[in-house]
Amino acid sequence: MGVVLPLEPIGRNTEKISYSQNETTDLALFVRTSEEDITGWNRQRIVDALLRETFIDPDTAVRISKDVEKTVKSGALKTVTGPLIRELVNARLLELGLEQNRRMHTRLGVPLYDVDQLLVHQNKENANIPHGPEATNLTLAEGIKKEYALLHVFSEDVADAHLKGDIHLHDLGFIDRPYCSGQSLEYIKKFGLNLPHALSLAAPARHPEVLLSHMVKFAAALQSNFAGAIGWDAVNLFFAPYLEDLDDKGVRQLAQMMIFEFSQQAVARGGQAIFSDINIYWEVPRHFVDVPAIGPGGKYTGKTYGEYEKEAQRFAWALFDVYQEGDAAGRPFFFPKPLVHITEKLFITEGHEAFLEHICDVAADKGNTYFVFDRGETAKISECCRLSFKLEARDIEDAKKPWKMRYSALQNVTINLPRLGYRAKGDDATLFDLLTEQIRLAAKGHQQKKAFIEKLMAHGENGPLSLLAMKCDGENYLRLERCSYLVGMVGLNELVKTHLGRELHDSDEAMKFGLQVIAHMNLVCRKMGERFGMKFVLEQTPAESTAYRFAKLDMAHYSEEAAMVVQGNVENNEMYYTNSTLYTAAGEMNPIRRVEREGLFHPLIEAGAITHIWLGEAHPDKNSLKGFVENVFKHTQNDQIAFSPEFTVCLDCGRTMRGLRDDCSYCRSNHVDGITRITGYFTRVSSWNKGKIGELRDRYRNPNQL
Amino acid sequence: MRCNNIKGLIECSFVDWPGMVCGVMFLGGCNFRCPYCHNHPLVLETDSLPALPLGKVLERLAPLKKWLNGVCISGGEPTFDPELGTILTRLKEKGWKVKLDTNGSRPFVLKKLLAKRLIDMIAMDIKAPLDEKKYIRCTGRRVDLENIRQSIRIIRESEIPHEFRMTVLPRYHNKNDVAELTAYLAEPLKLQNFNPRTTLDPRMAIEEGFSPEIFSDLQLLASGAAHNDSNDKMLIAS
Amino acid sequence: MTLFTRNNCKLCKKIKSRFDLSAMEIKIETLTNDNAGALAHLAWHGLVEDARKSLPILVLDDSSPVRNFARIENRLIERSNKLGVPFQSESNIICEGGNCALQ
Repeated sequence: MGVVLPLEPIGRNTEKISYSQNETTDLALFVRTSEEDITGWNRQRIVDALLRETFIDPDTAVRISKDVEKTVKSGALKTVTGPLIRELVNARLLELGLEQNRRMHTRLGVPLYDVDQLLVHQNKENANIPHGPEATNLTLAEGIKKEYALLHVFSEDVADAHLKGDIHLHDLGFIDRPYCSGQSLEYIKKFGLNLPHALSLAAPARHPEVLLSHMVKFAAALQSNFAGAIGWDAVNLFFAPYLEDLDDKGVRQLAQMMIFEFSQQAVARGGQAIFSDINIYWEVPRHFVDVPAIGPGGKYTGKTYGEYEKEAQRFAWALFDVYQEGDAAGRPFFFPKPLVHITEKLFITEGHEAFLEHICDVAADKGNTYFVFDRGETAKISECCRLSFKLEARDIEDAKKPWKMRYSALQNVTINLPRLGYRAKGDDATLFDLLTEQIRLAAKGHQQKKAFIEKLMAHGENGPLSLLAMKCDGENYLRLERCSYLVGMVGLNELVKTHLGRELHDSDEAMKFGLQVIAHMNLVCRKMGERFGMKFVLEQTPAESTAYRFAKLDMAHYSEEAAMVVQGNVENNEMYYTNSTLYTAAGEMNPIRRVEREGLFHPLIEAGAITHIWLGEAHPDKNSLKGFVENVFKHTQNDQIAFSPEFTVCLDCGRTMRGLRDDCSYCRSNHVDGITRITGYFTRVSSWNKGKIGELRDRYRNPNQL
Repeated sequence: MRCNNIKGLIECSFVDWPGMVCGVMFLGGCNFRCPYCHNHPLVLETDSLPALPLGKVLERLAPLKKWLNGVCISGGEPTFDPELGTILTRLKEKGWKVKLDTNGSRPFVLKKLLAKRLIDMIAMDIKAPLDEKKYIRCTGRRVDLENIRQSIRIIRESEIPHEFRMTVLPRYHNKNDVAELTAYLAEPLKLQNFNPRTTLDPRMAIEEGFSPEIFSDLQLLASGAAHNDSNDKMLIAS
Repeated sequence: MTLFTRNNCKLCKKIKSRFDLSAMEIKIETLTNDNAGALAHLAWHGLVEDARKSLPILVLDDSSPVRNFARIENRLIERSNKLGVPFQSESNIICEGGNCALQ
């Protein structure tokens, strides 16, 4: 990328070369010299910069500065800008073969043309980002941080693998943040809203509305320190001690406030809503039953959470009442995503039949409900598109002091599986060697990110990650030693098709081979984790844009092989790889088989997996879904499912209808937009990237007629 | 036994049996020619559609047993298939619960199947109020309405759960029709809004269903909760 | 039939020492960090979570799993008798140190 600086005068007496200034704001200022004269030109500034930023010796620095001065004064140039001088210096470094020094002296930025395009056209990498000044700020900042990460945080082999599309380092634009965060409300219930450098401190909340406002503000603060989702554990339970004095109407009001607060706040990253998940339990999870409850004022109530079952249930019920109603136009809420945990204990808890019916009604109507299956005695906290953490023994120990329960994945690196197939040319041994090599590269990238975040965290509460370094309970909010590192995959289906000539759903043999690939990944991650002392876990990458990026890159670099397996429509660029270990979106397959078969992968993908059931226009009966969900729990290994209906919203009359339609069934306007799930969340179809549009066209909806 | 008239199978449906997850078998052939029929290949081109042998169908359904509450037999018009009894018997032998979709034109078949306890749920499509002209218009055939009445009676008198339903579209149905039929049945009528996809009569493909607002008013009427008001301006001319 | 086992698992060892599994045409899958094939095979049968709770697990020819140790032994005795393969008599071994599960 080049350099962009607006060429506009900043006044007569400020005509100086300012690139050697230290403050970030000044670095971005332009330099303009007066016509035919370079007054203010100071060759020494070039020398200073070279000595400060690179390893070259003073003599060479002086020599280069003189060379550049000669060029500048040669007369051809009427206007000189700081960045131009820097590039001239870089060109000289290049000529002298001082490549390492040139890299160190590089300037990061964006071409004028790109900025112009950006301000006018929408960025579709993430459909959750609206288009507006905050969004373009984000894109520009991300652009520079991405370049910084690839040049300065990651080694050349890792960065190159990303650029070539062998792997994808997610959220490079957020290089200075961890990936995602899951926590309980207990931290703010106990310590109030006491954030580093905040303008004011709030003592622990005494009223439910205040607790909610603390929650929302804390979520916003967290979102500006994490790249991905902010998940809340057992929200209904931890709110319960505040609800004792509220009647049902009050609880309903609170539920409505919570959902609107999270779905309407466009405050996070570039004017996005906070990517928020709330975990909901009908029963009191076993690990919280005997935990002393914290209530108003941050004080122990004298009861345990086990005694708050009824209050927690009232709140859970009310939340789903609100989801069912939708927003003022009857549209589904996009955030916060409700993740309901289906556990053994649920089925022995009073009222579970009615609750299941209620959440299935919402699933059929609006699609919001995520069904998370915690079989056996496992406990999980879910966040992000499908990420979940199984709570280990030490986590359950944390549960006794629930404010300690905060978990984070530091980064996600995804492997382009189909490409390995192209390179292996049908040979098993080569394929698995290549796969190991890619995971090693991913692990190396994780080590480098970890080192970088450690460096930032080392500055403590006065450093760049002050929120993560706050120590209300004596240890850093972000417990780096407890972080996970995600290894994702895209296009298992296309890899298997390349390697065996069949897609995953085509034959048992293809499926067994797919399992072999994922089992291999699982074991290699485990071994590398032991070697590096880090926790590498597989995750089904949501791959909202990665599935498209990999497909595009492979069509460019492995066109012959990729053309045989890539999904979608290549001609109009609507191509994609199938996400993670999913079966092809287009596969005509009954949902039972899809849930069973895709579920076989899930126990190997320890940081979370999901099966989507695309409903299309069909509006199933709540009890039909309820029976289905119960069977998924009983008869499969599936980790999580969601039913996705489709909607059309009319941009003229504002009304919402079922199904993706070309025109409004009310007012017949064709000024309409679709709404459905893109990967792990609902959003408007008009904001989707081309790959996802291709997938949407292909999606096999469960039929409601022949 | 031939049983070569199973022209389609949905292995898992959330919408064909209220409250249940079921498989759906489609039998070819129909005595009606409803212009707005969306399963028309089963009506017009049934002979050219490949048949799925009953054995194969049972084989495909068997591993889904723990997931499915039953099997729905739809069509076409299943009571027209001489093998229907055989199919139902085989399903029953395998322990399946069965729902039958019918247009009610063959009450004697229903009577026989019910007597043999081969059906666990029945859904009858009534095309219009029981008026000769209206029925001809909606079915494209002269229909003996006495058969329809008899089927309604048989179904109501049977001990199994049932559902009467009507697909409505502005060209053929109005508010009075819904009210009239609901009154005749003296029980709730389930309405389905016409949804243009491909239709038996290609001219119907450009036809629209009711707007959601009007449809929900009709639904209210069909539930038996509202009173009929013939002067309502929402009345749709036919 | 397939028997899923792991190293250092006493119950697995007991089975292996009591029965001549290869003569009984039973495939042994040993779950180690280097054996992706065995893990994939386990996943194919939907038994990963079960194996995390306890091993060994016997998978019969109709793909149904036997998890209970006493039942596994009974199944193997039946098969030994049927095939005329000798096996050793009972010795009392219990799982120690939690090693009888997939880690």
